[in-house]
Amino acid sequence: MKVFYGQRAWLLQRASALALLLILALGAALLLVGPPLTYERWHGLATSPHGAVIIVLFFAALSLHGWIGARDIVLDYVHSLPVRLSVLAIIAVILFAVVIRVALTMAAQLSLVS
Amino acid sequence: MRISIYRYNPETGTDPYMQDYTIEPEPGDKKLLDVLMRLKTVDDSLSFRRSCREGVCGSDAMNINGRNGLACITALSALKEPVVLRPLPGFPVIRDLVVDMTQFFAHYHAIKPYLINDGVPPERERLQTPEQRERLDGLYECILCACCSAFCPSYWWNPDKFIGPAGLLQAYRFIVDSRDTATAERLAYLDDVYRLYRCRTIMNCTEVCPKGLSPSHAIERIRIALLRASS
Repeated sequence: MKVFYGQRAWLLQRASALALLLILALGAALLLVGPPLTYERWHGLATSPHGAVIIVLFFAALSLHGWIGARDIVLDYVHSLPVRLSVLAIIAVILFAVVIRVALTMAAQLSLVS
Repeated sequence: MRISIYRYNPETGTDPYMQDYTIEPEPGDKKLLDVLMRLKTVDDSLSFRRSCREGVCGSDAMNINGRNGLACITALSALKEPVVLRPLPGFPVIRDLVVDMTQFFAHYHAIKPYLINDGVPPERERLQTPEQRERLDGLYECILCACCSAFCPSYWWNPDKFIGPAGLLQAYRFIVDSRDTATAERLAYLDDVYRLYRCRTIMNCTEVCPKGLSPSHAIERIRIALLRASS
């Protein structure tokens, strides 16, 4: 079994970049049209079911994209296996924790609203 | 003309150093190699490779003022003085400007740089349409001088695992060849996090190729071919 994939990682990196771009474009569109962006409007967007899912998706795509980028840097520059595994593990835990934290925050916000 | 050349002789045990030379080119000296040859008559301890002296053999690749190139096709008039000559970066130095290309050619051999076709050979040659032949343009011209691989940061970091731009360009030359029947095997060999996907599209290879080829374009085509093969 391959530990590090070539094409799959390359594809995921591009797919996650595309997802990030689309969500950022959506955010930019929201900024440009509609009523002024007040705290209440931001809060409403973030705590709506669609908004919450999109925010979680954004951070998931960001973490996935970041993981492949960071993994590539580690594969390039860190050649000692124990150090490499430690660095990769730290990066993976941090990125995973970010996604979990965002998901839990969004879930808490949604349950507060409903 | 002032030239500063990287000198290293493992037999003397001294560390590498830069040696400065001052030499006046003769009227017939047009290229950097002409001056190097003249310098060799003054200091015969200076080592560098050269053969065809017209940009076909790829022997005299070196780092010229920070940029890889062939001494034989580098015009003297285009050089800023002092001309700083170093061996190809990232390659083990054997002596002075001569580098060890063993690893480079091991990658080249690994991509099976020959036509594979187990079909019954035709009575005459295997024919191609003009369009099929055209796809080899920009690929077959590679002279394996290693200017591209030695200018690729990804190759510097993983020279033992990453095939490098030269090897990948050659690999694509056979992937795209209509007469070759081993495309699937070739692609399967390249689908690896190190062999192909260490390329970060830095494009130094295309920037520096003395033959004007584009290894980064070939690498992109391999990725697309892999994508098509897997879908």
